[in-house]
Amino acid sequence: MRVEEFDGVIVGAGLSGLRTGLELSKEWNAAVISKVHPVRSHSGAAQGGINAALGNLPGSEDDTPRAHAFDTVKGSDYLADQNVVMFMTEEAPKIVLELESMGAPFSRLSSGLIAQRPFGGAGYPRTCFAGDRTGHALLHTLFEQCIRNGVKFYNEYFLVDLFKAEGRIGGLIALDMKSGELVSFRTPYVILATGGFGRVYKQSTNAVINTGDGNGAAFRLGVPMQDMEFVQIHPTTLYGTNILISEGARGEGGFLYNNKHERFMEKYAPNTMELAPRDIVSRSITTEILEGRGFENAYVHLDLTHLDDQKIKKKLPGIREICIYFAGIDPIEKPIPVHPGQHYSMGGIGTKFDSEYGETDLPGLYAIGECSCLSVHGANRLGGNSLLETSVFGRYVGRTLLMKEKSPVASLDSIEKAEKKTIEKIEELLKRWNSISGKNAVEIREKMGETMNKYLGVYRNEAGLKTALMVIQELQKEFARIELPTDDRKYNFGLIRGLELRNMLDIAEATATAALWRKESRGAHWRTDYPSRNDTDYLNHTMIYPGKDGMIIKTKPVKLGMFEIKERQY
Amino acid sequence: MAKMQKFLVYRNKGEGDIRYERFEVPLRKGMTILDALFYIQDHFDPTFAFRYACRGAICGSCGITIDKVPDLACRSQVAEIKKKKKAENLPVFHFGDHANWDEENEILIEPLPNMPVLKDLVVDMDNFWKFYKKIQPYFTREYKDTAPESVQSSKEMYTIEGLVYCILCGLCWACPVNAKNSHYLGPAQLAKADRFIRDSRISEERQKQILEQVLNDDGVPACEKLFICNRVCPKNVMPGTAINDLRKNFAKKYVKRKC
Repeated sequence: MRVEEFDGVIVGAGLSGLRTGLELSKEWNAAVISKVHPVRSHSGAAQGGINAALGNLPGSEDDTPRAHAFDTVKGSDYLADQNVVMFMTEEAPKIVLELESMGAPFSRLSSGLIAQRPFGGAGYPRTCFAGDRTGHALLHTLFEQCIRNGVKFYNEYFLVDLFKAEGRIGGLIALDMKSGELVSFRTPYVILATGGFGRVYKQSTNAVINTGDGNGAAFRLGVPMQDMEFVQIHPTTLYGTNILISEGARGEGGFLYNNKHERFMEKYAPNTMELAPRDIVSRSITTEILEGRGFENAYVHLDLTHLDDQKIKKKLPGIREICIYFAGIDPIEKPIPVHPGQHYSMGGIGTKFDSEYGETDLPGLYAIGECSCLSVHGANRLGGNSLLETSVFGRYVGRTLLMKEKSPVASLDSIEKAEKKTIEKIEELLKRWNSISGKNAVEIREKMGETMNKYLGVYRNEAGLKTALMVIQELQKEFARIELPTDDRKYNFGLIRGLELRNMLDIAEATATAALWRKESRGAHWRTDYPSRNDTDYLNHTMIYPGKDGMIIKTKPVKLGMFEIKERQY
Repeated sequence: MAKMQKFLVYRNKGEGDIRYERFEVPLRKGMTILDALFYIQDHFDPTFAFRYACRGAICGSCGITIDKVPDLACRSQVAEIKKKKKAENLPVFHFGDHANWDEENEILIEPLPNMPVLKDLVVDMDNFWKFYKKIQPYFTREYKDTAPESVQSSKEMYTIEGLVYCILCGLCWACPVNAKNSHYLGPAQLAKADRFIRDSRISEERQKQILEQVLNDDGVPACEKLFICNRVCPKNVMPGTAINDLRKNFAKKYVKRKC
């Protein structure tokens, strides 16, 4: 077996992972492992932008990190940890300027400064952007800087399992997809930056690769999943493929219409209209469709036809291209058919209370970016805050770790033992999949996606959630007996997708468990049977742990104290 | 019953044994070639290998050759393949013997040209990335996280915007120069060089460093102005035009040589 040794290993090469890798590699022997080449990471699909209180637009000069923090906390329906939010918003202008200095090709104002646009739930136009392909621009910029600085990459390495030694992280076992061999990465620090896991849903804007591999691996070691019930359903995904149609389209002046040609947001958020936060717009669209005012009972129109052609061409070229490629529609001429779809996970790998940001309960294990729950988004994330989170905490975790001892903490003997045991378990699993004639993993994956879509979407209730949990637990049992050829492991994508499903089933079960437990409506978690927020009982983070007889529910306090808890109105 | 679509698919375990396999996939509305590949993997052969990620034409993973035309699998609609007008004057790509291809009814699926096959549709892009690194595609100024940012006019930004949108998918390596010269830096790589050289924020010294990398014999001078790259590029980056830009506007300025 091949063994690699590092001072720190980062899993995932999106914006979070790249930014951490860039920082750590300055002084440590660090590696970034990723199941795809870094520029294929899903950060590259982010469209709208990155928030920072730069105040570049005339009239927004008095924007401040504190105002940004307030909008974020209010948008989170007061579930976000306020100290972490404040840290993020204070870092925001610095991180955007740093990205610019690295060469990021931001769009510009007539003053020559970085352009900013209005986004949902924000009191100022503070979303910095590069056309409508901001994620792509930033991902390539950070990758370029990693190349410049000689960051070490292991591309097409799939994280199978993490292992512990002497009570802390000891390393991880990865599958080298090209050669098909299992490789051990021994390291006292692992930073999980594996991104979102929207593929637990049937309809998601997420890439096919967004399967929560870090989340599954951490959970199997006993690290909890936090706030899993908070799943952002984006209001405007392209009907048919669920490819994201950026909030930037509304930020630039797009309107939403139902089949009666009514701008229905008037009824739901009269002040902010189309630029209300995402959870509110998604519920509004869903209600319109459910009450028969959608087109084909399935979608509404996002209309840009009243905008100037040049504005669409210059500020939303990516959106236009997506509409032409995937729906055969030019938004300059026709409205875009859109409906809500899973987009972002506010929840993720649970973090330690009152600790370094991103630190988990397992010493040496950190989690950042969408796979984690720090929690800066609480119950609902504002657009433009996810790209921000990735770079801010990527840099932060890198800097924090550089201040630590990099020497191995566990003995070689205990690392070898843990490594051997983990590999044996993996081999046992692969042997079982190979030998039994059982269920096709694809059926389980599809059933999981349909169940999540049906019962854990915009509107939820007790009966539906109970059904969902039961179905997923049944799928877990069936999954133990799947049939999959695992002998030839070289670029065996069936095997990769089987291992991904292993992670996703735990995520799906944790999500249903948490959603059933939370008997209130907050942010993206809307219970029709408990339609109001209940701060007395539920102003807490949900922590789901693996248990012998099903998952265990605990809570963690929310960090408050900067902003008064109020009713959330727009 | 759903209408069925026939596919003839290149298979290769990477050990020299090339064969073409037939699959029938039930069509559904809006089905892309990538969806069809997944259908084959899910229902017929889980070991069928192809790269994928975003399925929205932004990550650059799923470049393959469809009916002899390099394209992204995700942005290609199955129902349109036989109807749509094909890019003209493309080179003839040969991957293996498929004499029995029913061109009218079967969609032919093959890997990207001019790259070694690792398995099925997965190609070895090592040289692609090696040459990408070779042109030194990055800013070298110090990081700075305090105001003011470097100023750039919209006009200056728009001169690089098209180049910035390159997704490094490798379709442009269909260029016949790549076929005959394994040292040719490649259209995407040269376009990337132009992206940096054109950036108003870059210093003259840095411009010169990057130019030195691309003006050697396997760089700009190797381009034969065939513009195949412009025709197959899924993001309208127009690498051939960028190479011309390097040739006409920058080569003389620094190296005083003809390319």
